[in-house]
Amino acid sequence: VQAGFIRGRIGLATANNAGSSIPVGWDYNPSALSQRLPIVVLALAGFAIATYLALYQYGVVETVWEPFFGDGSRVILSSPLSRVLPVSDATLGAAGYLADGVTGLIGGRDRWKTMPWIVVVFAVLVGPLGAVSIGLVIAQPLVYDTWCTLCLASAVISVLMIGPALDEALASLQYLKHVKNDGRASLWRAFWGLHTGRLEARA
Amino acid sequence: MAAQSLVAALGVWMMAAPAVLVYAGTAELVARTAGPIVATLAVIATSECTRDVRLANIPVGLFLMAAPLFIDQPPHAAVNGVVAGTAVVLLSRVRGHVRARFAGGWQSLWRATDEPHV
Repeated sequence: VQAGFIRGRIGLATANNAGSSIPVGWDYNPSALSQRLPIVVLALAGFAIATYLALYQYGVVETVWEPFFGDGSRVILSSPLSRVLPVSDATLGAAGYLADGVTGLIGGRDRWKTMPWIVVVFAVLVGPLGAVSIGLVIAQPLVYDTWCTLCLASAVISVLMIGPALDEALASLQYLKHVKNDGRASLWRAFWGLHTGRLEARA
Repeated sequence: MAAQSLVAALGVWMMAAPAVLVYAGTAELVARTAGPIVATLAVIATSECTRDVRLANIPVGLFLMAAPLFIDQPPHAAVNGVVAGTAVVLLSRVRGHVRARFAGGWQSLWRATDEPHV
């Protein structure tokens, strides 16, 4: 109990420390570069894989690497399902990973409170990419009765990014809720990182 | 973390089970739909901040346990599904060690007032 009490006091002390990058009631700063870099590295790996698969789909690369499932990658990557949209699914994936990487990098170590919009966009981009990947993983064996190794690798990467990306979104949403409850500053301006002053110093 | 990693492994196992245990049809459909969902939710739940996502795997595990009641499956597929489903339900109930504090977490967003943070 005593230890919990002391931790709580430290939390309050942080609240009054205007320069702190650690959100009130948190133990770490989710916007720190050490927190964001691993996600950006994953996004770049996903981008590389998806770009390679897209190059195969458009015939730039003649063969595709497939160590486990024989004809699997070829069947999946040239399937009608992969061409439902105007661009191939791997192209869309590559664009998604690139957007993840860029929105993961933009902003400084305080961005959960200085740029909530980029944190929210980042989280919104990471989520759907994972959802679409998993949808395609479910579809592969059910529709075409085979798998595609690099497609699975891409899906794993997109899922690994979700949890680590969401802590920052939580910090931003808690901050915005604090601004709204406080009532002194515009929530809209806080979302776009426009307001400064007393409130920001407190948060 | 350890419990959720095991659940993720169970999800991957369900994806592979129809090929390893050799069964097809609706039983395969069940395994290959539930498997990726279980694995995905469990991987997300390994992060401390999103640990509670583990709870979403409980209905999927219950579905795997109940599937043989209303879906015709070969016996070995049914046994595998029930055992894996039971393990998913039990392990998904384990919160495990969460070191970091998140100022009340996601639930705090739905509460009317700010967390006192103490």
